[in-house]
Amino acid sequence: MKQAPTLSSAFLHPACDQLPEPLLALRKQRASTLVDMPMPTRKTENWKYSAKYLKLDDEMAISLPNEGKTGNSLAVPGYKVVFINGVMVPEASEFPDMDGIAIKRFGDLSIDEASALSLQLGSTLDPKRTQFAHLNGARFEDGLLISLKPGAVLDQPLFIIHETWGDAPGSAYPRIFVDAGANSQMTLVEEYISSGDASLLANTVTEFDLAHGANITSIRLNMEGENVQHIGATGVVQQRSSRFESHCVGFGGPLRRHDLQVRLEGEGGECKLNGVVVTQGKQHYDNHTCIDHVAAHCNSEETYRNIAADKSHAVFNGRIHIHPDAQKSNADMNNKNLLLNSGAEIDTKPELEIYADDVKCAHGATIGQLDEISLFYLVSRGIGRRQANVLLTMAFINELVEQIPVEAVRETAQMRLNEFFEQTFQEA
Amino acid sequence: MLSIKNLHASVEDKEILKGINLEIKAGEVHAIMGPNGSGKSTLSQVLAGNEAFEVTSGEVTLNGENLLDLETEERAREGIFLAFQYPVEIPGVSNLQFLRTAVNAMRQHRGEEEMNAAEFMKLAREVSKQVDLDPSFLKRGVNEGFSGGEKKRNEILQALLLQPKLAILDETDSGLDIDALKVVSDGVNALRSEDRAILMVTHYQRLLNHIVPDYVHVLAGGRIIKSGGRELALELEEKGYGWLGIKDEEEASN
Ligand SMILES: Nc1ncnc2c1ncn2[C@@H]1O[C@H](COP(=O)(O)OP(=O)(O)OP(=O)(O)O)[C@@H](O)[C@H]1O
Ligand SMILES: [Mg+2]
Repeated sequence: MKQAPTLSSAFLHPACDQLPEPLLALRKQRASTLVDMPMPTRKTENWKYSAKYLKLDDEMAISLPNEGKTGNSLAVPGYKVVFINGVMVPEASEFPDMDGIAIKRFGDLSIDEASALSLQLGSTLDPKRTQFAHLNGARFEDGLLISLKPGAVLDQPLFIIHETWGDAPGSAYPRIFVDAGANSQMTLVEEYISSGDASLLANTVTEFDLAHGANITSIRLNMEGENVQHIGATGVVQQRSSRFESHCVGFGGPLRRHDLQVRLEGEGGECKLNGVVVTQGKQHYDNHTCIDHVAAHCNSEETYRNIAADKSHAVFNGRIHIHPDAQKSNADMNNKNLLLNSGAEIDTKPELEIYADDVKCAHGATIGQLDEISLFYLVSRGIGRRQANVLLTMAFINELVEQIPVEAVRETAQMRLNEFFEQTFQEA
Repeated sequence: MLSIKNLHASVEDKEILKGINLEIKAGEVHAIMGPNGSGKSTLSQVLAGNEAFEVTSGEVTLNGENLLDLETEERAREGIFLAFQYPVEIPGVSNLQFLRTAVNAMRQHRGEEEMNAAEFMKLAREVSKQVDLDPSFLKRGVNEGFSGGEKKRNEILQALLLQPKLAILDETDSGLDIDALKVVSDGVNALRSEDRAILMVTHYQRLLNHIVPDYVHVLAGGRIIKSGGRELALELEEKGYGWLGIKDEEEASN
């Protein structure tokens, strides 16, 4: 029998000297868990539909250069942090200066702070389901610790622009940790973009640790180019009466994978997860979400929409795990899909594990096509076929896009989606 | 303006229109009446270009141009407008966005400049007042959750914005209360002009009191079996379709 391929050791021995000792130790520990890590194949349950898109050559193991231009940064209203290839660019960043809010690069942490952080990093994620978060743990060279003291409220959204750039193959490992104290509030916007055309890997991890009553909104736009494979994970742990809201908008690519895991550990916790994915050409996108209802009386509401055109492939796997003590859980998961061509593929799978008896858990998934009668109605008013198709396709996701609570991001998303669909329907 | 000669059309291999002949000149108003299932909506949809219906033979010209060769959107740009019997609900597309896109598509076709959002908003508000629709309907999804009567008024709103050459109104009067009927008729009458024609499908003579037609046709079993002036509508109201040799719906569609 052929030996199953493992992660190339080229990925495991990075040099790095800019981090405090406890974080270097963490990296070493993570690297040790990756030795002989089997690469996902179509037999790997959580990579079943996506393994064939993952192509990691040894040359991509090289850390992308820390320098680079910041040319691509979008104009943002609010605070801004720019990361290039996983390393912050201070001169392009504008931090808030507010009591109770500390934003620090990992490299600037004291030994004590770094030591505390080393225990927190990765604690929000289930390692069995996010193998690649460990790769990030072994490789991050910089990162941002956002600490909100109890009651601190960030007055404007914080934008983090993650740009992956390279004119030779390589990889980048951005890492963010948000430590949200009791009753604190903030909105974090992450925009993933890229430039250059070499084969690149962006392997990202963002974590949110919400103390009781914290209220955090996370917005994530994934807009990297056709040369970038993206494997990202977002982990969230929520204590009593906290609220987490997530809005993800993803554009397809050669490989796009995002794992979003939320653990409701305190009673009265609430999360709302919205996601939009669009793919065309031969693009791919795979969202794996996982909500753990650990404590009783929590609500989760999840709405994802995929639109796949041409020969592209979108995957949604939504897991809800209701633990034995999580009585009176209320979980609602909904996934609707629009297949624009018969050559496109959408795989959607709910995965429910329910171990408590007094819970409400609703789920639904549909796959449909554009409605011919609606199309006829629009063109009968003189609207061109292409534009009518774009309108109807946008209509399928508008409800979610309109819920993005930051206007500038909402508009960027709307504009990009429109451009995307105009390309999709070019030949109509 | 519109000339229909021996038009045959089928849906799913079932022949619905079995040789329609009709001439409509600019400035005229024609009413089509007839039993349920006789093919009135089919005729309307075929003229607008719905590809669910297959034209198997015959000829339709609009101002001398072969209409059947044109795509639906081209027909609309040449001035055909169909007010649907069952207007379509499109959640996720706002009514305002829909209307502006349509108006700008027409303007672009005529080589005129597009209207910006503010200009269009002003126009749309005025016209929605004209059909007695609260401007809040502009913000809602296209026909989404509109009542039957509101949908019909929204159709007339579109006709007023698009200023078609030939407006085909498929039962735009049904489901309307007396006030709404007045509003809709006023809207249609506002469209009447020398260089425009109107073809309206209706079951009720009452509409024809408000919009007085020049001609009335009876469509039954896929053919126009009788044509006359407006007095024909009164006669139908009084006697039903029986005296024309049609017994019921069943027979009408055979
Ligand atoms: N898409 C379709 N598939 C199958 N049959 C159809 C379709 N559309 C129309 N028909 C049939 O064609 C016939 C004519 O229908 P049409 O809607 O044109 O009638 P109508 O005269 O408008 O009736 P009404 O007064 O009830 O509106 C009917 O028998 C109808 O069932
Ligand atoms: Mg009808």
